[in-house]
Amino acid sequence: MNAYFLPRDRVDELVGRLLRAAEVIAPKRVETGDVFYSPVSSPGEVAWDYKTAVEPLKRFLLPQQETVLRFSTGEKLRVEPVLEEKDRIFLAVRNCDVTGVNVLDAMFGGEIEDPYYMARRRRATFISLACLEADEQCFCVCGDAGPFLKNGYDQQWTPLAEGMLIEVGSDKGQALADAHQDLLSPAEPDQVAEKLQLAKRAEETFGEFRSYIAAAMRRLTLAETPDEVWERLADHCVECGGCTFLCPTCSCFTVTDRLEGDGGVRERHWDACLYNCYAREASGHNPRAEHSQRLRARFFHKLSHQWAQRNGRHACVGCGRCVVGCQAWAHMSAATEAIRRG
Amino acid sequence: MTQTRSRRAGPDPSGLYLPRTARVVRAENLTRQDRLIEIALPEGQALGHRPGQFVQVSLLGYGEAPISVSSGPQQTGSFELCVRRLGNVTTALHALQPGDPVGIRGPFGNGFPMDHLVGRDCLVVAGGIGLAPLRSVIHSILARRERYGRLIVLHGARREEDILFRDEIAEWQQDPRNEVLLTVDEPTPGWKGRVGVITTLFPEIEVDPANLVVVAMVGPPVMYRFVILELRGLGIKNDQMFMSLERRMKCGVGKCGHCQIDGRCVCVDGPVFSGTEIMAMHEAI
Repeated sequence: MNAYFLPRDRVDELVGRLLRAAEVIAPKRVETGDVFYSPVSSPGEVAWDYKTAVEPLKRFLLPQQETVLRFSTGEKLRVEPVLEEKDRIFLAVRNCDVTGVNVLDAMFGGEIEDPYYMARRRRATFISLACLEADEQCFCVCGDAGPFLKNGYDQQWTPLAEGMLIEVGSDKGQALADAHQDLLSPAEPDQVAEKLQLAKRAEETFGEFRSYIAAAMRRLTLAETPDEVWERLADHCVECGGCTFLCPTCSCFTVTDRLEGDGGVRERHWDACLYNCYAREASGHNPRAEHSQRLRARFFHKLSHQWAQRNGRHACVGCGRCVVGCQAWAHMSAATEAIRRG
Repeated sequence: MTQTRSRRAGPDPSGLYLPRTARVVRAENLTRQDRLIEIALPEGQALGHRPGQFVQVSLLGYGEAPISVSSGPQQTGSFELCVRRLGNVTTALHALQPGDPVGIRGPFGNGFPMDHLVGRDCLVVAGGIGLAPLRSVIHSILARRERYGRLIVLHGARREEDILFRDEIAEWQQDPRNEVLLTVDEPTPGWKGRVGVITTLFPEIEVDPANLVVVAMVGPPVMYRFVILELRGLGIKNDQMFMSLERRMKCGVGKCGHCQIDGRCVCVDGPVFSGTEIMAMHEAI
């Protein structure tokens, strides 16, 4: 795939053009200093120097709550129009989060496509910004999801000393580069070499958190993990579900009906497999009545070969949000360590 | 032996979550908690299900519930659901009267491997409401009786009054190629049949394991464990057993996550699994 160079003084010009062409979602700093992926309206709002965003990109493709159907008390059913009529460009988002979207694609695409997710997904373009320095909770190197990617993005931008190296990773990314050829020049070999140097240096900036994913995958796949591992994790975990809501690849949802006026709506909401009621049936029977069983199910879905085969890869991107969000010590890094030790 | 793996998502993939508005044709109570509801799709559409598949039944404002189809695929123009009153949706379903609208999505899931049964004997093991989905298998066999060998049905219920489809069972027993054995957990005065859990019926049957397929088995989870032991005692191998699993479901199409068992979704990869598959799944039974 092609690579281009965008000089530093032309970045705002290109971002301005993107803003005129589509809704742009980019890292934006709020008053507390935290960064969230949010719609931006001017190039100056983009927080290029951020490390990680508080939340992943999930909510833009799978909203925390969305209307699936609207119905009237009469006999006619009609579908709420959910097809997003606008294009969205996700600008300067992190590679772990782009990889997270790729995992969601496997879950919601495939043989049976989820129409609501796919309507948003088809109109989305992902321009990632490679990380030059890891944040303290990061372990994407263990998750095969960064800090630099070889594919999976539409475009990957790397901040060089003099401007942006733009690598194209898809037809969508190429079309975007073609549309703004006048601002770009083909990348020079020394610019690509500069990127490789930055990538190497970035890998040396990771901190204490790591995740022994290969070892955990093997043990989970072969059912070698003793029940005591899950029972110990269950002693820590407070079942808040925070890790699932912050996870870029957790996508379980529940569906509820709500009466409204002379009709009502059917909505879907994020759900969490750690909740006791998640698998409980109307009869009262609960196949995962034990907390330890629910923890096992969660990490099995994330890391087993059975699921990796289905989704094309395992489902941890090493973003570290579960490390930040966990009130106890039952996040991915802790779990894989516990699984590895048995 | 490979099982048919269907991932059909209903006739209109773009309307994955949009129920078709069907009508209740007939509804009658079978027991104090189970109601048989006959449903017709709009404009005479056929459901086109295989035995063991299920539909998502919608009552707008109440929600949706996955219910196995209880009638055979040979019944065209309408289909039947046997609904036990347990939660919000099923309680509301019990109030439906002929003419009332009801939303239907599906059929979903893989169903029982009916082709594999051709020319073989079939043992059906139905615990309680498990007879409802298995009735679809039985109807399918009875509709083309000559294609199949013996049909042995074992059905256990809590009390005599909980036995489902009693009139039909009497009809099935008319044909000498069919055997139906019933047992109850709690005998009431006047009950002349057998007493005990369903495994107490096994010593009474004679089977040729080489020619037997156990399509059976729908019932409470504890039943599976004990029935599998009995079947092994009869010399029946894991890949000759097929059982339907029940899990909480929301979407029916492998997206919502609720019905996962290890690496599978019961709604698209099941609900019917072979004994070999069940044994390989950590939390199946």
